Amino acid sequence: MTKYIIRRLLGIIPTLLIIITLSFFIVRVAPGGPFDTEKKLPEVVMRNIEAKYHLDEPLVVQYGRYMFDVLRGDLGPSFRYKDHDVNFYIFQSLPNSMILGVIAISISIIFGISSGMLAAVKQNTWVDYLSMALAVVGISVPLFVIAPVLQYVFAMQLGWLPTSGWFTNGDGWQTILLPAVTLAFADFATIARLTRSSMLDTLRSDYIRTAKAKGMRSSSIIFKHAMKGSMLPIVSYLGPAFAGIITGSVVVEQVFRIPGLGKFFVQSSFNRDYTLIVGVVIVYSVILVIMNFIVDVVYSLLDPRITYK
Amino acid sequence: MLNHKNGKTKQEKATNEFNQIVVGNSLSKDAWRRLRKNKMAVISVILVSIYILLAVTAPILPIYPYDEIVIDHQDLPPSLTKTAGELMRDKELAKMYAQAWRQGRLVVDEATNEMLEDWVSRSKVNKVWDYLLPEGNRQLESGTFTWNASEQRSIDSREKRIANEIQISIEKMWLKDEQGKLSDVKHLETDEIVALYAKLLGVQANLLVDQYTYEIEMQLLKKIKAESTGLTDDEYNMMLRDQLDSMSTKNYDALVKENIYEKIASTIKDMAMEQLGTEASQAETTYPLNEKVAVTEYLTASVKATKMHDRRYYLGTDSLGRDMLSRIIYGGQVSIAIGFIGTLTSVLIGVVLGSLAGYLGGKIDYFIMRVVDIMYGLPYMLLVIIAMAIFGRNILNLFFALAIISWLTISRMVRGQIMSLKNQEFVEAARSMGASTPRIIFKHLVPNSLSVIIVFSTLRIPSFIMTESFLSFLGLGVQAPYASWGSLVGESVGGMTLYPWRLFFPAIVMTVFLFAMNFLGDGLRDAFDPQSKNQL
Amino acid sequence: MNKKTPKSYENMLEVKNLKTYFLTDAGIVKAVDGISFSLRQGETLGIVGESGCGKSVTNLSIMRLIPSPPGKIVDGQIIFEGTDILALPENELRNIRGNKISMVFQDPMTSLNPFLRISTQMIETIRIHQDISKKEALAKSIEMLKLVGIPAAEERIFNYPHQFSGGMRQRVMIAMALSCEAKILIADEPTTALDVTIQAQILELIQKLSKKLNTSVILITHDLGVVAGMCENVCVMYAGKIVEKAKTDDLYKQPAHPYTFGLIQSVPRLDKAKDGKLFSIEGQPPNVIDLPPCCPFHPRCHKVMDICRNQYPPTVDLGNSHEVSCWLYAEHKELADA
Repeated sequence: MTKYIIRRLLGIIPTLLIIITLSFFIVRVAPGGPFDTEKKLPEVVMRNIEAKYHLDEPLVVQYGRYMFDVLRGDLGPSFRYKDHDVNFYIFQSLPNSMILGVIAISISIIFGISSGMLAAVKQNTWVDYLSMALAVVGISVPLFVIAPVLQYVFAMQLGWLPTSGWFTNGDGWQTILLPAVTLAFADFATIARLTRSSMLDTLRSDYIRTAKAKGMRSSSIIFKHAMKGSMLPIVSYLGPAFAGIITGSVVVEQVFRIPGLGKFFVQSSFNRDYTLIVGVVIVYSVILVIMNFIVDVVYSLLDPRITYK
Repeated sequence: MLNHKNGKTKQEKATNEFNQIVVGNSLSKDAWRRLRKNKMAVISVILVSIYILLAVTAPILPIYPYDEIVIDHQDLPPSLTKTAGELMRDKELAKMYAQAWRQGRLVVDEATNEMLEDWVSRSKVNKVWDYLLPEGNRQLESGTFTWNASEQRSIDSREKRIANEIQISIEKMWLKDEQGKLSDVKHLETDEIVALYAKLLGVQANLLVDQYTYEIEMQLLKKIKAESTGLTDDEYNMMLRDQLDSMSTKNYDALVKENIYEKIASTIKDMAMEQLGTEASQAETTYPLNEKVAVTEYLTASVKATKMHDRRYYLGTDSLGRDMLSRIIYGGQVSIAIGFIGTLTSVLIGVVLGSLAGYLGGKIDYFIMRVVDIMYGLPYMLLVIIAMAIFGRNILNLFFALAIISWLTISRMVRGQIMSLKNQEFVEAARSMGASTPRIIFKHLVPNSLSVIIVFSTLRIPSFIMTESFLSFLGLGVQAPYASWGSLVGESVGGMTLYPWRLFFPAIVMTVFLFAMNFLGDGLRDAFDPQSKNQL
Repeated sequence: MNKKTPKSYENMLEVKNLKTYFLTDAGIVKAVDGISFSLRQGETLGIVGESGCGKSVTNLSIMRLIPSPPGKIVDGQIIFEGTDILALPENELRNIRGNKISMVFQDPMTSLNPFLRISTQMIETIRIHQDISKKEALAKSIEMLKLVGIPAAEERIFNYPHQFSGGMRQRVMIAMALSCEAKILIADEPTTALDVTIQAQILELIQKLSKKLNTSVILITHDLGVVAGMCENVCVMYAGKIVEKAKTDDLYKQPAHPYTFGLIQSVPRLDKAKDGKLFSIEGQPPNVIDLPPCCPFHPRCHKVMDICRNQYPPTVDLGNSHEVSCWLYAEHKELADA
């Protein structure tokens, strides 16, 4: 087991290196520089700036320098914001995004699994139809439609919740509800559908028949026998779910004006703030890769059939 | 005896029951039968067909151009009955009443006042407008409220504009020669058309050359800039030179012709406008008007004139006065096209790579699957955002960025299918008869996994559209004046409180399409693989 | 107790006119269509037939484990110790399942929960029906595992199912089934999924344990050889119906129904292999959807008569509790009556 974990951890390294390399080169081979503004800067000024940010060096040297810095945990200076470096901006906004993401994924897992199980157990009743209808909505309606619609209905028309803002800015804890629910919606839908179908599959399996033949109550059959097996697809879905949450948070932070990483990301891609873009992507990737790793480990713990080669 | 006879007929029936030949039923036929049983899937097929039909026929539909900006018609609400002029009048009047109420000239009772104040404080300005318009009109009639002079002037001038302003478009122009024979201006040679324009302006033809050369260059430059953003001027000029150098004389001539034709048309439009403008105030002409006018003694034009403010916007307008209906249809065209073509591309890449990996196995398989694994670990959406931000935000780049990342799942699936199929007897048989590897893959293996591919592709289309719209929503996808469902929703978020229809219509249209595609995909999956019912 | 009639005391289990149908898109599948049989205490009854003839459905019906929908027990009675199982409420039914009647399924690979340790699954079985501590249940489980011949049972009990071989898993299943001293053990093709060498061991084990614990056994199989070795009585099923019912010896000596005859003839036998040709029953068993009223075996029967095609034959008692449903004998009877 320990060996397996170490092996998986080592497997993370090439993925991260590729991500850093890829985003670095995409940014560097791009036409136009970060200092291209409407009015042309004098040649000398341009030179100075380029020298300051080492943009005049050969690409390979820049790459080596950047890689070295990143490995030390230094994401470099921002090209646009002069006051602080990239680390500052990222660590200022990361906690906000993390809080949002963690709440959203928790909502989607808790509600997804429970409504999926309910739907499976009460198959072909109104409970089933209702939760599956909700799931279809979650799968078909894009996040960027759900976000403004919920905002319009619950904040602007009904006035139950604040339209935007963030609790760290003193706007009250209610500010977190709408964004988190919005962000959770798509994954809730997928998890609910996955849970339902895998639960139904499990309930049809031979070992559930055995459990019934042993005279177990249906409730203990579901919780003791069916639960573990039918959670496996959900666990393996969590990897993509985290990726979805990260992507979705970009929209949600935009719509609800949350000072998170996603908002920074969109801003910096409009600004061509190279170091900031790459920095954000690296942070996101690290989170994603770690999450995938955790998911893998949890999966292997849940399924005794997996052997740790 | 009788019994026996009966027995005999029965006996034949019974024998048939047992000896019945199982009718050859192909998988696709069977699937189609099951699909038709699925009501949701059938409705979805119909809906999707309607959408595709609308998207394809958009250019010939009787709708206003999607990029036509009419500043007067900004932010008009949707209406089935009222014309743009009436809506415009209501909107402006409501605003003026609101202003008058603020200035204390339009007096309402205390309770109403409080209610209005409350609405204002909760930024529900449109409720205030909706209330004050009938209230103001009532008070105006009963004489408890009057406009002041300057307000009256602006109302009068607007009424005049609503009544009189016409919009003219030149459909076709003919040159009349000495014999009175008409020839279509569009079909003239380049030098003839230049000469015609010179004649119209009363100048020497060679004087025009400098002007149109410059204009064409500017036009090209603008296009280059839109395609690749963020370059220096020098680089742009270089690209322009390149393009001009590589252009054939024929193409260049066509550009010149187009340029001059537009100019002639606009000159004639001005002339016709002058003529008609005087007529319109006489209120004798009926609009819309569609007639041939001899503009000069040598030019005849087919002129189409409509009253500007008689337009109807069934789904309202956007902040630049563009017709939402038209924008939604054209936006759908972009979204659906990207969805279908993008899916096709990614499926092609995925099928080729997946089947190669699955059939050949070994190092090739290992290599392709490692690439897939690593790409799976990437936050690809973010990479697409970077790519869009850097390589320019246009449809083509968007399309490539999406196609490059979306073949992963399909390639894995096809690989799995091929691997399970490749050891089956029919492949052995084909191989033993000397079929080549590509033949085995594309004639035997891929068709056998077609059902999986079809089902996957159908479910892929909505997610492709969602991704595209997601980027357009952030402003990183389709750029104005083009629209996509995502960009329409994105543009509307800002003015959501005041103009909710701009959010709801594209959102509903898009959602219905995505629903239909999802149901269709689910239906197809159930039809092709009844075992998988209830599965994701 | 005193409500019991002598007959029901004699017969542990009595199935009367059981009908289990499946309502599918294609039509009603009459998987089990009016079968009756009974089982005495300590008796081993064999149910034989080709796959799809309804033998598994019969036994799932006894436990009321038919997946519903689409399956439904539409008619009949299953009387166990004087009470009709089909009329029992859910909680009383649970008291019978695994306690009084238990089952061993065909595929030991999938019948054990792969996510739970053997210990968990066995202890759970015992503790559902007996009010004993976990520790005692564990001790009992280990004892049972030893009884079925699992080596190093004290350690292996904490393994997961995938760590056992197929034969071992089937032993575990048997141990689990017998851990509550069930009165009836239903073994649904317990050896089909196993290697031939293991098959004999498992069957021997079932036989040995049933003798030892005085358990009645219903053995479902398509293998006549198995029946010959183990069962006292045999039911032969075809297309949802019992076509012949007899003592095992009688059945082998004098198979009355042409189908039984065919089945016996088609078993390869060392002593008769000289002519080198094996008897085979032509054709396929019929699809049991919308069967016309006829003997379902008639298209494959080498003694087919006109009447076979229009009417299902009545059941005829040939004496010595040998019953058969075939027109060959019905006519004799009619003639005799005349």
